[in-house]
Amino acid sequence: MSDSAGSDYDRLFYPYLFEVEQASLEDVLEQLRSSTVEKSLDLVKLRQRVLTEAGAQIIAAGRAMAQAFKQGGALLVFGNGGSSTDALDMVTQLNNPVRPGWKPLPALALAHNTAMVTAVANDVGFDNVFTRQIIAYGQPGDIAFGISSSGNSANILTAFDQARRQKLLTIGLAGYDGGKMARSPSVDFSLVVPSEQVPRIQEVQATIYHALLEIIFESLNGPVLSGPAGNN
Amino acid sequence: MEPNSSPIGLPDQADQFNTLITSRFERSMAVSESFFKNESSRVAQACREMARRFHRGGRLLSFGSGAAASDAQHVAVEFVHPVTVGKRAFPGLALGEEISPRFAQPGQAGTSSPFAHRLRVLARPQDIAVGVSTGPEGDRDLLEALQVGHEIGLLTVVFTGGNSSLPVQPGIDFCFVVGDSDPWIIQETHRTLYHILWELVHVYFEHEGLLQV
Repeated sequence: MSDSAGSDYDRLFYPYLFEVEQASLEDVLEQLRSSTVEKSLDLVKLRQRVLTEAGAQIIAAGRAMAQAFKQGGALLVFGNGGSSTDALDMVTQLNNPVRPGWKPLPALALAHNTAMVTAVANDVGFDNVFTRQIIAYGQPGDIAFGISSSGNSANILTAFDQARRQKLLTIGLAGYDGGKMARSPSVDFSLVVPSEQVPRIQEVQATIYHALLEIIFESLNGPVLSGPAGNN
Repeated sequence: MEPNSSPIGLPDQADQFNTLITSRFERSMAVSESFFKNESSRVAQACREMARRFHRGGRLLSFGSGAAASDAQHVAVEFVHPVTVGKRAFPGLALGEEISPRFAQPGQAGTSSPFAHRLRVLARPQDIAVGVSTGPEGDRDLLEALQVGHEIGLLTVVFTGGNSSLPVQPGIDFCFVVGDSDPWIIQETHRTLYHILWELVHVYFEHEGLLQV
């Protein structure tokens, strides 16, 4: 309040002006404190709902991914914006497992291939940036994993169509009602976080892909879940 | 895919998988709920300090190594390109994407941290440094950068976890520690933390007078 602080005279003559400003700082801080707690409680409810409604589907998708890795498949993972950073994180986690005994697994983050993305976007169009890379790297038995908050990103939907043509396992993460991704015949497992708050969607998507990673690593390396003799 | 047809999935393992994901979800819920209950005051204060920096034309400069590099990028895009149409955009930049920190070597350019070097070259006093790590290992890459940022005059904010030693280090204005040992649980709460900071920084711009106090 350096410029609008006023003189001592102002403070004496118009005390309410300064009281209002002071009071509202405390009000705003209180508003932010309660808003913070409220958001975190919304998040708890959303995680609980996804666990209840989509838990079985998450397990099924994780086991299918484990199976694909076991048979030599690789993960091709893609998303736009914040979701591209989830894709990068999945690759980091697969490449550098956080627990001893978990063996690294092959994965590529398609949005982080800057030369490829800019070349295709510039010459063909942004809708093809992932599709072009599916064509280049996708082998039957690999996994195409697309992440979108809306479920409607054109470059992700077309990448799934291409992945299906090349016989990849296709898995999608979406928010809202799942959008077009949930209705796409090219997607084997569509895991939806039913919310319209993009931040909350992305936070629960993180829990989902962490759960998938745990299922995959435990299936392939865990003492119990990797099953009887011969599975290593 | 039927469980019986899968060589790695025997039917009696279904319960094991269920236990595994249930405990992961429940741990995530418990950790974030208690974190935000305990930290809501500091979150509100950090939002205000960040808003004051943006109000002065400052930028958010985020960084982290390993998995935290993804979070650093996520924070930056959140501020620059808000998901909610009409929300005010603020300048954010993830350090390192352009220099491949994954391959940067210690000792480069007379410093042990590529982020510290990058800050020395790029940062302005009104900026905000945001360091991300999930514990002591990642912290090592952050500490020097945060101290360099502090010397230049930046607001320094760090998200870490586990048994981090950063809270007792000088030069860090806000150190948020998610007290858990699972790096994924820590990361999930970090994500909510930076989303909430982003969501609530805007509130102060509805009361611009408060930013000059």
